[in-house]
Amino acid sequence: MNRMNTALGQGSWANASLRRFSRSTAALLLCVVVAGYLALGVASSGSFFEGPSVRVFLQYLATPILIGLAQMVALCVGQLNLAVGALGGFTACLMGVLMADHGVPAGVAVILGLLTATAIGLATGAAIVATQINGFIVTLATMTILLGAQYRLTGTRTVDGYSRTLRDFGTAAPLNIPLVFVTALVAAALLAGFMYRTVAGRRLLAAGGNPLAARLSGISTDRQIVAAHTLSGLLIGVAAVTSTASLPGVNRSVGGDWLLPSFAAPIIGGVALTGGSIAVLGTVLAAFVTRLIDAARAQFSLDPSWVNLLIGLVVLGTVAGGRLHQTRLEKSPQSPTALPQTGGAQ
Amino acid sequence: MSGTVLLECHDLVKVFPGVRALDGVGLRLTAGTVHALLGENGAGKSTLIKVLTGAHSPDAGSLSWCGQQVHLRSPLEATRTGIGVVHQERNLIPGFSVAENITLQNPPSHRGLVDREAMTAPALECLAELGVDLDPQQPVRELSVAQQQLVEIAKALYTESRVLLLDEPTASLSPQETERLFEVIRRLADRGACVVFVSHKLEEVFAVCDTVTVLRDGKSVLESSPLPDHTHDDIVGLMVGRAHAATEMRPRTVDRSTTPTLVLDAVSTAGGHHDISLEVRPGEIVGLYGLVGAGRSELVKAVLGLDRITGGEVRVHGKPVRITSPRQALHEFGIGYVTENRKEEGVFLDQPIVRNITVTVWKRLAKALGYVSAREERDTAQDLVDRLGIRISGLGQNAGELSGGNQQKVSLAKWLAADTRLLVVDEPTVGVDVRTKHTFHELIWDLARDGLPILLISSDLAEMVTLADRIVVMTDHRVRGEIANDRDYDRMSGRVIRLIHDRDTVRS
Amino acid sequence: MTTSISPPDTVPEERTAPHRMPFWVNQRLGLLVLVIALSVLFGVLRPAFLDQQLVLFPLLRDVATLTVVALAQMVALSVGHMNLAVGRMAAFGALFAGLGYDRLGLPMQVGLLLCLFAGAAIGAVTGWLIARTGVSSFVVTLAMDFALLGLVSLLYSALTDDAAFTTHPSGIDQLRSYSLADICAGPICGSPAVPQIAQFTVLAMLGLGFLYGCTRIGRELLLTGANPAAAELSGVPTGRRVLLAHTLSGLLAALARFMAAAGTGTFRASIGDDFMLPSFLGAVLGGTLLTGGVVSVLGTLLGTALVGVIRKGLDLLGVGLESLNIYLGCVLLLALSADRIRAVVSYRKVVRST
Repeated sequence: MNRMNTALGQGSWANASLRRFSRSTAALLLCVVVAGYLALGVASSGSFFEGPSVRVFLQYLATPILIGLAQMVALCVGQLNLAVGALGGFTACLMGVLMADHGVPAGVAVILGLLTATAIGLATGAAIVATQINGFIVTLATMTILLGAQYRLTGTRTVDGYSRTLRDFGTAAPLNIPLVFVTALVAAALLAGFMYRTVAGRRLLAAGGNPLAARLSGISTDRQIVAAHTLSGLLIGVAAVTSTASLPGVNRSVGGDWLLPSFAAPIIGGVALTGGSIAVLGTVLAAFVTRLIDAARAQFSLDPSWVNLLIGLVVLGTVAGGRLHQTRLEKSPQSPTALPQTGGAQ
Repeated sequence: MSGTVLLECHDLVKVFPGVRALDGVGLRLTAGTVHALLGENGAGKSTLIKVLTGAHSPDAGSLSWCGQQVHLRSPLEATRTGIGVVHQERNLIPGFSVAENITLQNPPSHRGLVDREAMTAPALECLAELGVDLDPQQPVRELSVAQQQLVEIAKALYTESRVLLLDEPTASLSPQETERLFEVIRRLADRGACVVFVSHKLEEVFAVCDTVTVLRDGKSVLESSPLPDHTHDDIVGLMVGRAHAATEMRPRTVDRSTTPTLVLDAVSTAGGHHDISLEVRPGEIVGLYGLVGAGRSELVKAVLGLDRITGGEVRVHGKPVRITSPRQALHEFGIGYVTENRKEEGVFLDQPIVRNITVTVWKRLAKALGYVSAREERDTAQDLVDRLGIRISGLGQNAGELSGGNQQKVSLAKWLAADTRLLVVDEPTVGVDVRTKHTFHELIWDLARDGLPILLISSDLAEMVTLADRIVVMTDHRVRGEIANDRDYDRMSGRVIRLIHDRDTVRS
Repeated sequence: MTTSISPPDTVPEERTAPHRMPFWVNQRLGLLVLVIALSVLFGVLRPAFLDQQLVLFPLLRDVATLTVVALAQMVALSVGHMNLAVGRMAAFGALFAGLGYDRLGLPMQVGLLLCLFAGAAIGAVTGWLIARTGVSSFVVTLAMDFALLGLVSLLYSALTDDAAFTTHPSGIDQLRSYSLADICAGPICGSPAVPQIAQFTVLAMLGLGFLYGCTRIGRELLLTGANPAAAELSGVPTGRRVLLAHTLSGLLAALARFMAAAGTGTFRASIGDDFMLPSFLGAVLGGTLLTGGVVSVLGTLLGTALVGVIRKGLDLLGVGLESLNIYLGCVLLLALSADRIRAVVSYRKVVRST
């Protein structure tokens, strides 16, 4: 009897979560991804479904996923990370220079790169907490500093004489599924597990959802901000590794175009800028969508500028649509009267 | 068990910029008692609670737990010691489930992993103790205000504290829910805990508490004394610092034959109000009474055009109108709204007082190119500062530096500057010390005496009885009835409570 | 605004006494001292720094342009918003100026007007989107930035051969190279260090100073930034003010871009890419709050001047271009940390005196 109750309970719980999912952003994005992929396949008269195309498509999906997740982690505690691209570019160049100029073996260079990125994330978080300056300004400053450092490392040259092993990792694709893409998915899965299942992850979300309540429940919001930036740094480090592995060489332009995609993925994926919410699946799927736009651009050989234009418009459309939808929901009783939210930056 | 002193403090001092929030507070909490912590707003109750629960560290004084000196450096340490609390502010994580919120302080976990199954049982237990039927998996953001309040209390029960502090737990609860909470409080005390109960409603305090501590201006003026030794008036006298003089107001009459300034005729709104009718005449104070969440402020905001009116008719000065924005309400119809939420919707804390007051009249002061003369602006503001007796050190001072009562006066001054012809005043004396409260009552009374129609929203029944001519009672976004005020508190409160209680019969 | 008149009959209570900041807390004065001190320091270390024509003239021209950029940001910040698309809005406006000169052969002034109009229009669209949907300005302007990045380069490649308009209207070269030395009242001429292009900056500063200091709309902008909910309930048309702030921001950005284009001589897509950092540097160093409600027009000039002096000075000291960014980032962090320390110190003082 008792067991039946639990089984029933679980059944209805699964049903409820299925219903919740069907109405979520992720479900919508899944449809868009599938439809878009099919449409591209048809438009390319089938060549888009073939192995090499799939491989290329997924190969360049790894970095957008990872930087989207890195930004999402910062957003979940109500912070921003403007230094995503600069930190990624700096780390990639650091690894490249270490391997090419100093003969450091690939494994060591990768570990050093990951450690450096994590440490810089940690330092950023610590600076925000220590100075109490708005995270926007602090990451703007670290972005500037890192851009300078990246330029100093590589100057105007392209570093390309680095380790074969890393290159092989970048191009290896058993069953036409590139290893870098698998790496990104594993990172996403680990992050999801961390956020949904671990105490530390729940603390991050609690601090983002209601900082005061979290503090009164014994959760140090300062420590969560530092943790979020550290984790963000680590994910950027992984993104730097995947892009170093799959790019022909690293130079000072690496990471220069990461900023918008890093915001686009979580925002399209349904993460609120105010903190307290995450959507790992949504972010991954949104990265798929942006990659689809890029692939479509390549398919029809259009000017690369179209991608920026379209992604910009998609983000605008998503946030505006989502906001209008929400205002309509808020017209139900119980909810407080909505005062005009005039889109303050804070 | 009972009789042991659990928590004791001596001469606590806590200083904030510009104010000594606690200035020598003593308190002794004994096991097995329900202890009332009383004081006017601003007397230091919330600060004391924050110090006792480790959220603030005291600047001086000592704190001891079961006879041992302790230093509570964080809320977590306080919880571990055995002190639980329900704060006045909402302290739930909106995206988390009910169960996770209840277990937030000490989530059941296994090697760093959250154990969701293990959360449900204790959460259900805590909810059952309160007699609340909620799905523990439901996200908290989907709950109503009262339900959230109950979840907060359940959260405090979960930590199994020996001292439990409840800061205004009944503000948004219905009478039945309140009664249920009292049962729980008594049960906890019987089990050897000490429950500290903070409330503004003295009736509730006398119903449930055994001992009492009264704070005034950051000092404890009555320390852990048995409650039955004191009368209602004693306690009020201690809180206020002088015998509570019966309010003497100059007589005021309402001409019932004049056209009402504002009429709501069977108004429904998109926010869920149904069939709301009321009218306000020149020189009349109409009270709109109800519990928190009854939809009173929302109704006013809908009338001001911030929410859609879906049915019925609004008439201002006898003419049917459709108001689309607060500025149309102000500039065309002369309706002013002194908001409930002073810090968020009423004053601009980081802006000078002069701007706070003159914001409504810039349109009138503006000359060619929108030029506003700084001198005229200052004159207007100074005039009102003098008229309302706002205590400031200069018009350039930021409003955030003023005390609560003076901030509220600034919020009111803004509308008087604009010569409004109808004033809506929402919870004017929440967070205002008792002296200012009295002046405020006189102020509102005199405004009405000079012919201004006033719609007064308040959850303070005593305030209603003092000021209003008629009291309209609202629950659940509906009007339950209207009572002519005869200024007799006991009779009026009985009738109002009856109207609220009857809502179930009305509904069926 | 800060003159305080105590009413004779109200003695201020102790607890409400204002906590007047000591004079060294005044950010603008500190900035001014810092700018002068650094200029003197660089002048002593490298006398070439004080060369009027070769160093100071281009330095002031840059400062003049970047001040307008920072003012564009300041206007957005005044309502508590951000404009991440300053650079791109600027490029969008300049595109029209270039197009006007190249295809229609417009005179300089008309092209400038067209440029300003286009900038204001795109700013208005942004403001409208934010006000209408209530989405955070950060996201909207970020998305706008990228949409325009795509659009502007598409338009340039569609309209021109080598992605730049090179036609010079008459007068623009004078604007680039003339200084006050070219304006003479009889025998007395102005300083050759001050470029004539600064006239736009002075005009913009006067206009904004009047707007924020003396007018109803300026005050309403600030109150919208300080507390949008309270402003709306006090009868301030917050939606329209947000729209106005972004329109002005777009207009000023376009003006800055025109000045930058006049300085280099060509209208191309890429210049203006590096506007975002200086725009925040100037405004924030100058004392404008990111949270809205407090602006400083003069401070914005001083903040931009400080950054310009440091940049030029380090450049002359032989610090490579690649390292400049590192130092600038550090300056930003240090300057703001210093602010924070001042705030903490004065907080402690106030607590102690209570």
